[in-house]
Amino acid sequence: MSFFDYHHFPIYSIMVLFLGAFLIVMFGKNKAVRNTIAFLAVSASLACMIALVKPVMLNGEIIAYWMGNRVPAGGYAIGIALEVDQLSLFFGLLIATAVFVSGVYSLQYMDRDDNVPQYYTLFLMLAGGVIGLVLSGDIFNMFIMVEILTFAAVALTAFRNKVYGALEAAFKYLVVGCIGSTCILTGIIMLYAQAHTLNFAQLAALIPGNMNNATKLAFALLYIGFSTKAFIVPFHPLAADAHGAAPASISVLISGVLTKSGIYGIIRLTYMLFQTMNLGSFQFLLVFVGSVSMFVCVTMALAQHDFKRLLAFHSISQIGYVLTAVGLCTGLGISAGLYHAMNHTLFKGLLFLAAGAVLHETGTTNLDELGGLSKKMPWTTALFLVGAFSISGLPPFNGFASKWMVYQATYQKAAETGNIGFLLVTIVALITSVLTLASFVKVSQSVFFGRLPAKYENVHEVKPGMIIAMSIFAILCVLTGLFPGFVTKNLTEPAANAVFSAVRYIDAMMGSGYAGSVMGDNLPVVSTVSFTQVGYWAPVSWLLILCIGLLAVTIAAVLGKYDRVSEARPENVDPKYDLFWGGEASEFSQVGGGDLFWGFKHNWRHYFGFMHDLHSGVVNDYSLWAIVALSLAVVFITIVL
Amino acid sequence: MIMFNYIASFFLIALGFYCIITKYNLVKTVIGLSIADYGVNLLIISVGYCEGGTAPIFTAGELTAASTFVDPIPQALTLTSIVIGACVTAMSLSLVMKLHESYGTLDTREIRRLRG
Repeated sequence: MSFFDYHHFPIYSIMVLFLGAFLIVMFGKNKAVRNTIAFLAVSASLACMIALVKPVMLNGEIIAYWMGNRVPAGGYAIGIALEVDQLSLFFGLLIATAVFVSGVYSLQYMDRDDNVPQYYTLFLMLAGGVIGLVLSGDIFNMFIMVEILTFAAVALTAFRNKVYGALEAAFKYLVVGCIGSTCILTGIIMLYAQAHTLNFAQLAALIPGNMNNATKLAFALLYIGFSTKAFIVPFHPLAADAHGAAPASISVLISGVLTKSGIYGIIRLTYMLFQTMNLGSFQFLLVFVGSVSMFVCVTMALAQHDFKRLLAFHSISQIGYVLTAVGLCTGLGISAGLYHAMNHTLFKGLLFLAAGAVLHETGTTNLDELGGLSKKMPWTTALFLVGAFSISGLPPFNGFASKWMVYQATYQKAAETGNIGFLLVTIVALITSVLTLASFVKVSQSVFFGRLPAKYENVHEVKPGMIIAMSIFAILCVLTGLFPGFVTKNLTEPAANAVFSAVRYIDAMMGSGYAGSVMGDNLPVVSTVSFTQVGYWAPVSWLLILCIGLLAVTIAAVLGKYDRVSEARPENVDPKYDLFWGGEASEFSQVGGGDLFWGFKHNWRHYFGFMHDLHSGVVNDYSLWAIVALSLAVVFITIVL
Repeated sequence: MIMFNYIASFFLIALGFYCIITKYNLVKTVIGLSIADYGVNLLIISVGYCEGGTAPIFTAGELTAASTFVDPIPQALTLTSIVIGACVTAMSLSLVMKLHESYGTLDTREIRRLRG
């Protein structure tokens, strides 16, 4: 095989990132050299991923790559393997894209920090760890990659250690992250004790037919371990803390990339390794956890006063959508979940980068202090609005397309099973979407519109490099929203098919016929996934309606005369019937960002107060939640399996 | 005999978790993480144990069907796990130092600026 054979590309895409990290430690003192190395590493990794699209995604080949060509002997995998199927590649592509954009953004975003070489080293290690995790075919290698990415993420959270709460956030993340990693390692060892192999495909062949108490415990441990990486309930406070303190380019990675690795782990675990997703109880588990995540986090977000902390809660709320859709165990559900996972990376990345641009220019992310930045930073405002429309699910942006599919998938599941619970999930998803929109109205009002505080008079637009990075995300947001049929056909449907074809995955790794010979009667039925009920909407007509509406508003704004004098009150009218804007008449009074929905918040004050007290910020409490979740998972899995 | 190892390792893991939950001193939290880690290491080594086995080092021709030796893979895994455990301890202690510098305390109940 030549060096440029595409079978080598998976290992290249991991290797260049770690090599880049190493080279930056060696030669990173010079800014130009450092930036060149970082840029080359992230671009090469993305290029490798894109080159794999044709053979893997379109032709359906599964690449099994044995390190040092140590192929299985006597039916036992003895080497370390990488395995790239459509699901791995789907997540790999997402991650490489997010890493690339975030890398381009940090070239100019980090110019005011010191110790930038260390930043890039950790950045590239984080990226390499996540890509290594999704491409790995060896469960212990997955653990190593989990550890690398956890360490890099913790160190990067504490990177700006003068920022309010950065050290604290990093410590909490480290403690709970380590509980998760310990769970993963214990689970792996218990599987090894049962099956005497660490190869993922071989485990997937040996374990499902031979479940006993040890493997059930291992399942619970692994599930909780990957949950801490995905930050789903009850691990969401860590994400909020870490996002608020980390540099914006790292928030993109934590929200767009780290959570995806957790979701990837859960999919692999439930659909492939243990093959339990045909059980209603497991569908219930994932859908329930997902729904709780999306609702709790969106209400937590409404009560926030910090831009990035608010975005962090929204991020986990959207992950709840992904988990819910994936837990439905239908072709449409998984396709919707993966589509939303992709969109989440794009719009959440865009929003975090916009928040980072605001922080870079004004030095704060406090919603109560900011205001009126649209006049000073028009590009950032426009790009932020694209992201806000996408996450709120407004047509024709990508959030609408994927959320529509999620609603449809839950509704279809309810219709198929006759279970009223799935209908409730649809309603929760809709309410969450409305609350998301409300929350983003509040953010855009209090950051970009309204009155500009005097101290931000000298604020100006960010540098072009950062705008380019944001534009890449924004363009992808619009494109994936306008062509949902193309995206689902070429990206999410192959990946959804891969989720259901465990046998192909095992045979590609261990030699054809292996799954049949080992699993015998337990062979999972390869269901051909039907996508017949997918109803695509017509984005172009919606786009036209939006354009016409915008045009009408613009014409009205430009041509219409706004006569201030005519608003003067006649002398004889009692002023008590006037509209009340607050404050003295002469003094401008902008309704504060936190108060825009004060009526709603007032009605829900007991709930918000309860949630505020619950998220106490004490690391012992968060650890307790983790242990309680672990105990519940053990009890649940022991009962239902 | 080997059963005692399993019980001890899970006891250590539980003890570590208990320590993390109940102790309000940051250094004790780090100690709890380490104890849980030692428990996992003991578990890994015990999994590879084989009654009457020798060290897994053989030269060509020495290996016969009658020879028993312990599983070498868990030993390699333990080494990795020990290294990772050392990194966890080092990194968390350095964070504890910085936290003490900026907060002036090691009590977890007072290190809670980020909440709600």
